[in-house]
Amino acid sequence: MEELEIVVDHPAGLHLRPAAMFVQTAASFDADIRVRNVTRDTAFKNAKSSLDVMSLQVSEGNTIAITAEGEDAGEAMDALRGLVEGGFTKEE
Amino acid sequence: MIGIVIVSHSPKVAQGTAELAQEMSQERVKIVAAGGVDDETIGTNAERILAALQEAETEDGVLVLLDLGSAVMSTQVAIEMLPEEKRDKVTISEAPLVEGAIVASVEASLGRSLEEVNNAAVEARNMEKLT
Repeated sequence: MEELEIVVDHPAGLHLRPAAMFVQTAASFDADIRVRNVTRDTAFKNAKSSLDVMSLQVSEGNTIAITAEGEDAGEAMDALRGLVEGGFTKEE
Repeated sequence: MIGIVIVSHSPKVAQGTAELAQEMSQERVKIVAAGGVDDETIGTNAERILAALQEAETEDGVLVLLDLGSAVMSTQVAIEMLPEEKRDKVTISEAPLVEGAIVASVEASLGRSLEEVNNAAVEARNMEKLT
């Protein structure tokens, strides 16, 4: 299983468009991907569900933890890391 | 991929909600606004909704998100005006309009089914905002 902790620097956190992009990116992989808000100490939620991701209430500066399990877990992690670190500018 | 129709008494609310939802889906989902009696008048209009249903029509179905009251009745009338075989592919959602549209557009963009998208949109009413 792949694991990653990363700070969300986007001013909008993981709400609305960044949340949508996060879910759309996660859903493009077969791996089981989970995410939690470390700063708020939430439980892990399904990264492929918009409701789950928005319910984490990730604000600017919060740290999130992502886990991925499955054949393409490594690629999924790279894509999600790139999305968050790149400030959610990725065009798909 | 399903289509989405936004029905509100206010043409501006319908248009604005559709724009917001479209931004969330990253232009992947067909989202059509059907607000007001016409572009200027508050109310609902079955013929405008019918035109929106036809524009948003997909093989996977159409989810209608609406505000309340006569929006429901006008939408039901519009659905009745569709050819019989197309009526089953339209679902009126119990979801809150704006929150539901945001969630529905993302879920629809993932290629989820009409039922799955509607279930997620309805759940949006339980999403906490202040904690």
